[in-house]
Amino acid sequence: MHPRDRFLYIVVPLGVVAVLTTMLVVGRTAEPARYAVGYAPEQPIPFSHRVHAGANRVPCQYCHTNADRSRSATIPAVQTCMNCHRYISMADSDVIQKAVVARLQIDAPLKWERVYHLPDHVFFDHRSHVNAGVQCATCHGDVKRMDVLTRVMDLRMGTCLACHRGPSRYLPPESPIKKGPTDCTACHR
Amino acid sequence: MGEVHEFRQGALDPIEPPSEAEPVSRRRFLSLMAASAALAATSACESPPADTIVPYTKKPTDVIPGVADYYASTYQEGLIPYGVLVKAREGRPIHIDGNDEHPRFRGKTSLRAQAEIMSLYSAERLRQPRLGDQPASWKEADARVVDALKQVAARGEAALLLTPAVISPTRRAVIADLQEALPGLKHVAWEPALGLTERAAAEALYGDALVPRHRVDKAKVLVALEADFLGTMGNAVEAMSGFARNRKPAKPTDPMSRLYCVESRLSLTGSNADVRVPMRPSGAAPLAFAVARALHDDHGVTYPFGLSPRVLHPFHLDDVARRYNVDAGTLTSLVRDLAAAEGESLVLCGPALPAEAHVAAALVNAMLGAEGSTLETGVAVDGAPLASPADMAGVARDVAAGVYGAVIFWETNPSYAMPDAEGFNKALGRVPLRVSLALAEDETTRRCDVVLPVNHWLESWNDYDASADLLSLQQPLIRSLYDTRQAEEIVLGWASALTSATEAEKDYRSYLMQRWEREVYPAGTPATFQQFWTAAVHDGVLGRDVRPRPPRNGRVEAVADAARAVAGETAAGMELLLEPDLKMWDGRYANIGWLQELPDPLTKVCWGNYLAVSPSDAKEIGVADGDTVTVAAGSRRVTLPVLVQPGQAPGTVFGALGYGREGGVSGGRGTNLFPLVTDGGRSPFLRSSVSVVRAGGSQPLVRAQTEFSTHGRDIAPVWSLAEYARNAKEPKKDRSLPTLNPNLEWGDHKWGMAIDLSACVGCGACQVACQSENNIPVVGPEEVDRGRIMHWIRTDVYYDGPADNPRVAHSLMLCQQCDDAPCEPVCPVAATVHSEDGLNEQVYNRCIGVRYCAANCPYMVRRFNFFDYTSTLTDPLDLAFNPEVTVRPRGVMEKCTFCVQRIRNGVQIAKDEGRAVRDGEIRPACAMACPAEAIVFGDLKDPDSRVSRLSRSNRGYKVLEDLGTRPAITYTVELRNPPEASGEKGRV
Repeated sequence: MHPRDRFLYIVVPLGVVAVLTTMLVVGRTAEPARYAVGYAPEQPIPFSHRVHAGANRVPCQYCHTNADRSRSATIPAVQTCMNCHRYISMADSDVIQKAVVARLQIDAPLKWERVYHLPDHVFFDHRSHVNAGVQCATCHGDVKRMDVLTRVMDLRMGTCLACHRGPSRYLPPESPIKKGPTDCTACHR
Repeated sequence: MGEVHEFRQGALDPIEPPSEAEPVSRRRFLSLMAASAALAATSACESPPADTIVPYTKKPTDVIPGVADYYASTYQEGLIPYGVLVKAREGRPIHIDGNDEHPRFRGKTSLRAQAEIMSLYSAERLRQPRLGDQPASWKEADARVVDALKQVAARGEAALLLTPAVISPTRRAVIADLQEALPGLKHVAWEPALGLTERAAAEALYGDALVPRHRVDKAKVLVALEADFLGTMGNAVEAMSGFARNRKPAKPTDPMSRLYCVESRLSLTGSNADVRVPMRPSGAAPLAFAVARALHDDHGVTYPFGLSPRVLHPFHLDDVARRYNVDAGTLTSLVRDLAAAEGESLVLCGPALPAEAHVAAALVNAMLGAEGSTLETGVAVDGAPLASPADMAGVARDVAAGVYGAVIFWETNPSYAMPDAEGFNKALGRVPLRVSLALAEDETTRRCDVVLPVNHWLESWNDYDASADLLSLQQPLIRSLYDTRQAEEIVLGWASALTSATEAEKDYRSYLMQRWEREVYPAGTPATFQQFWTAAVHDGVLGRDVRPRPPRNGRVEAVADAARAVAGETAAGMELLLEPDLKMWDGRYANIGWLQELPDPLTKVCWGNYLAVSPSDAKEIGVADGDTVTVAAGSRRVTLPVLVQPGQAPGTVFGALGYGREGGVSGGRGTNLFPLVTDGGRSPFLRSSVSVVRAGGSQPLVRAQTEFSTHGRDIAPVWSLAEYARNAKEPKKDRSLPTLNPNLEWGDHKWGMAIDLSACVGCGACQVACQSENNIPVVGPEEVDRGRIMHWIRTDVYYDGPADNPRVAHSLMLCQQCDDAPCEPVCPVAATVHSEDGLNEQVYNRCIGVRYCAANCPYMVRRFNFFDYTSTLTDPLDLAFNPEVTVRPRGVMEKCTFCVQRIRNGVQIAKDEGRAVRDGEIRPACAMACPAEAIVFGDLKDPDSRVSRLSRSNRGYKVLEDLGTRPAITYTVELRNPPEASGEKGRV
């Protein structure tokens, strides 16, 4: 084989495949943990969804009040904790005193670690999903069993589109919605 | 309402960039390696900083993160209190529109007020008090000032307080408090760009300083004498909306107003006039007197005030026409139209014209019964006292003579904006105490030894009473960003320290409320004061009853004096007109990048000013665009570049004030023309016998548009009413090309726009609104010069006809959201695609920056990020960003989206409320801002929507329709209503 042919037919294709494989493998392994399913960062206080949403059956939107009227479901203000903890369980416990009461006194906000992270060019809107009847658990998983909130959904565009193209199994049976918007500007603007 | 909502401490943390000191982990190292291995994918691989969510500790009840709040407030500029509605997201003001509950503004505001968002977040704001060169605490600064003022009082010296126009009753009370505490205090209010000749004329003629409200909306015939009422004169927002209302007939027989504009420079008003008469400014007064005489002699209109016909004998229309080289026939038809529209006519006289011209205009208005109809005197208040340039010269003399032991500058910058700033600045050094209360460092603060940072108006309380029927309120949108105080509070603090009154109110909000409870809250109101106050703060404006004033009786002697002064006057030499710039005003906006980069509506020059010279004079002087000339008026001379302006009256030159500020964003660009303002003469802004000579140099002008001819294409056609009548009869020609997909099917909506070019005056308010809404970067003069300006919507201007008086057409150009968009098929990565609801989408995260789309767009509306313009933004300007719109990185194409974020939000709200989208509910930023309501947006699928009806208009057309792009924007032909040449009675 002429050396030039060898170069063209063997070295170049192999080289291309090697570069692509390297890119894919390195890219995949180097992906930040927070993009991976199972990401469960340590939060500033030992708050447990299992206790609140599970055992005590507090509805999601009691705390995440804006899920049906804003783009952000919003994490409740520290004060919201005291709506219950002023009167009921563990009001005097050390944990509540340190995690909540002390913060309120000095007006120190809680800095929660974000679990579901979207890139800046994605404009997700909670209200359109919640108001269409999508259950919180569809994307956020069974938080009622989570002591530490863990990411259960792969936030890739394919995941979003799969549902937008055929949402019926995630919607209440009587829902008239047959598909979600698939226009680019529905999410990217 | 009333509450100031904002982030608690720490809430802004995520906005700060990630710490650089973070140690490099193995993971991070690998990701960096991957990034460098895959160069093309670098931006996609880079991991964003770890993110925290910081909720409130105690949430304000009515703030929903992610949902915008709107608060009514007021912004003062000169004598106008603009009623504004400020949009805030999570406590950050991000967008300013007009207050829709304000009867004067009706949801519209000036382009300068809109751009004020940028001054709030300007990096140049002062952040703490300064004593000499050293930062100081408020306590030290206050002590220094109070001690010095006490010494001034003890020595019996005078002190000077220099402010802008005071149109706030409570601010007046504060100043009175200080004057009481410091009896030697002299208060001077100085508005460097405001002409006071109208007031002087009113005082001479009527004995009061009432400046009536101009009801442009009620006028069928308007005559503007050097009066740019659609641009920089008075309340242009109200005038534009009033003017536009009479400019969009639905059929040829509908009434349409007629505007005559007699002017030297080509102004925004002149460019929209039905008849424009280029004439020297000195001819305005004789012309107005001649018009009065012609009305009397030829049309039997009686003279008011018992004026003897003999007084106006020296003025004859033909005479004036001959003397000032104007077509006599045009003037005759002007008089005829005025006479025919008695009671529905208005003569407007520009602020630069001398008092005599204003007296003459007032005479014509009085003859035609304008008072009470097009001139509303009932709501007029005695103008706030203002210093004239001559008064300021007196102040400067006093300063030089050592009369004052202290000078206090309250948000005013005389070291830049004053006729003889140089002399004043030299004298200023001799004053022992120089205090400046200022928002940002400026020419004056640099010469002061005590500099006190004040709150921005979006951080302040105040009230305004510029007209008798309205009291406006200003409320803060955000707590002070820095260690600043409201100016009133500083002054109240001094007043109480000087009188040792410890119990005096120092909190301005309480001071304001107490004054309102005492003086504004009507006795016997069923509501409590708190309810009354809360409602007033919510509305931002409080209506008050006014009694109509009896018609004023003018003094004949004033008319006779004015007539005598101008009779027999002939134009001498070159005349120079100076006016505040549409964007810079008196220079106070120099550091707002949005305004610097907004092209002038008529010349498309940005980032600088120029001397407008008529084509014939330019030939005579031997200069072309960008050549420098030296203008000498009296003993003062200034060198600046020339712009050859079609339509500029020969023998006149024009320059805009407000440029040439030192330092900052403006970078000293442009030329300061305040040195040419005179403190003598009949008008400070009008100079005669000016010499203009070649300086030999050149200083190229930066222009956003360089081609001003449509080359015969129907891009911005203009019809007269007669042509409209002819064209409306003919069926519309279908000029579109055959298409491969004739029956496009749309989803629930098909968004479209209608632009009425007959209403559009070309001011550029839409551009500022768009820039603010869509996070559009400012690129700077060098980039603009390379054609890389980023505006998503632009106002184009086209000249047609003779260079000495061309016909001017304004047009808006933005992405046409074409159904057969030429940009879409050429994109190799499908980054620009069509949506179900008819939008041409631009997907930034797909775009790889090949720019094929821009090359293929016949409308030239696509903009490319040649640089990363936003990462270099100085802190805290990024707070002005709209969080609903992506901040585009380098290498990405962008363009108008029809404000898709507003569309999606509007549709969602309708869906959540279980109803259809209401027509007019969704408005893009440009449509919302347009004072003339020229832009209508809506759903073309709904045949009854306003946009659908306008799209079917018999003056509708699509730009470059013959290319087969099928745009979603329908333009309606601009109409003009010139008098019939045949001499038949004008259709009015």
